[in-house]
Amino acid sequence: MPAESLIRVHDLTYTYPGGQRALDQVSFTVAEGECVGLVGPNGAGKTSLFLCLSGVLPIPEGAVNMAGLDPAKPADRRLLPGRTGIVFQNSDDQLFSTTIFDDVAFGPLNLGLPPDQVRQRVSDALLEVGLSGFEQRVPFHLSGGEKRRAALAGVLAMQPAILLLDEPSMYLDPRGRRELIRLIKALSVTKLIAGHDLEMIRETCTRVLLLDGGKLVADGATRQILSDTKLMETHGLEVPHSLTHHAATEQHHKD
Amino acid sequence: MALMTLRLRPLPHPDSFVARLDPRWKLAAMIVAALAVSCLRGLLPALVALAAALILVGLGRLPLRWYLSRIGALALFLLLFVAFAPLLIRSNDRVFPLGPLSLPYGPGLALLICVKAVAVVTIMVVLLVTSPLSAHLTAAHALRVPGLLVQLAMLAYRYVFVVSAELARMRVALRVRGYRNRASRHSYHTVGQVAGSLLVRGYERAERVGQAMRCRGFDGRFRALAECRTRAADVLFFLAIAGGAVALVVWDLVQR
Repeated sequence: MPAESLIRVHDLTYTYPGGQRALDQVSFTVAEGECVGLVGPNGAGKTSLFLCLSGVLPIPEGAVNMAGLDPAKPADRRLLPGRTGIVFQNSDDQLFSTTIFDDVAFGPLNLGLPPDQVRQRVSDALLEVGLSGFEQRVPFHLSGGEKRRAALAGVLAMQPAILLLDEPSMYLDPRGRRELIRLIKALSVTKLIAGHDLEMIRETCTRVLLLDGGKLVADGATRQILSDTKLMETHGLEVPHSLTHHAATEQHHKD
Repeated sequence: MALMTLRLRPLPHPDSFVARLDPRWKLAAMIVAALAVSCLRGLLPALVALAAALILVGLGRLPLRWYLSRIGALALFLLLFVAFAPLLIRSNDRVFPLGPLSLPYGPGLALLICVKAVAVVTIMVVLLVTSPLSAHLTAAHALRVPGLLVQLAMLAYRYVFVVSAELARMRVALRVRGYRNRASRHSYHTVGQVAGSLLVRGYERAERVGQAMRCRGFDGRFRALAECRTRAADVLFFLAIAGGAVALVVWDLVQR
């Protein structure tokens, strides 16, 4: 029996006030516990899609369902932060408090949780991302990788059912990126990961959605989509090196 | 281009009697004190206010060197305004009484501006150092300060760091392309463009930070973990500061 769909997007179209169409009749579903990659060239609509899913951009009613909530309905939108967490492309956009503790506690406090529970959630989230002991550090003075993990902790502390990660490996050095991949793999929540780091998508996601010009042009198993040279090049992407190498080796063995 | 070499460090937060006060009472007392000082027109009341502010520095256990460096920066800024006051402002029939002494109007006014500015900044520095910003924001909310003002205060503080980092990056970008700051039209033009860029980037970032905050359930109200609880010391502190401030204003009015 297939797992229940936690994200349902049906014919989602979004046009920016200037008239630029960001999303054009996008439809897909994501099952509970699934980790799905969202790839596409610059301007494909990946970030716009995330902003629609998290209720930041106005969308028509019925087009999106996130863990039972419709971001278009004001009453549902108020509950959405407790079920959907988004980690933005640039961690500096997300960290604004004077200490890491305050920043991670910001979400749980907004959920109206009692102080003991807030402290526990902050402690658990920091432990999960490997930042225990950073509670009193100033967010602006952390390294890129630490900022990214702190931003992730701020979202994990809200214990969302769905996690949206926008270009999570951006600005990270190889070690930071490796740690992030390990962390993403360890998270059991439903994940939608947007990015150009196709090696990371290959390692963490079981399924990939390919977006170009606001349209969903492909939806399939990670390996199937990412190793399709023609499809990838048509949409301004490249087959990840590991798959190219693997494909060549397979071909060699066949020969 | 001093602005382009801006370096920011987080504020110290020493433990002290003032730091342990309820932020709501402390904020209310300090705001009353700062407003009262800004209303003073007599030199003697202003000097008394400055002395009281310095006592608060002691009570708040502010690191002396840190405090003096902040006041030093203020002094440089004040110098621009008061250096010419004794030369430009003259009044033969008016003097500034200072106890048994009388100062000429121009120098007296310059001194009054300096004393008041240092006293007000000292009060604000004590306020900022003795509680974390989040506590002040929560206190401001509890005191029914409009949410928009509270958000502006919080984001202004946050952006000081972001803008300084942005500025540092732009400075490097300019230098690697051979830019050196000189008193030339090209330099002024470049500084203007940098300032414009900072504004645009700041606006765009403000949009993104706002989105990120809403995504974490922010509804315009700041919540803090520390529960505010009023104790006798909080009320006494407020009464002492606010009472002293009102007494200074009354004294000043009587002197006029």
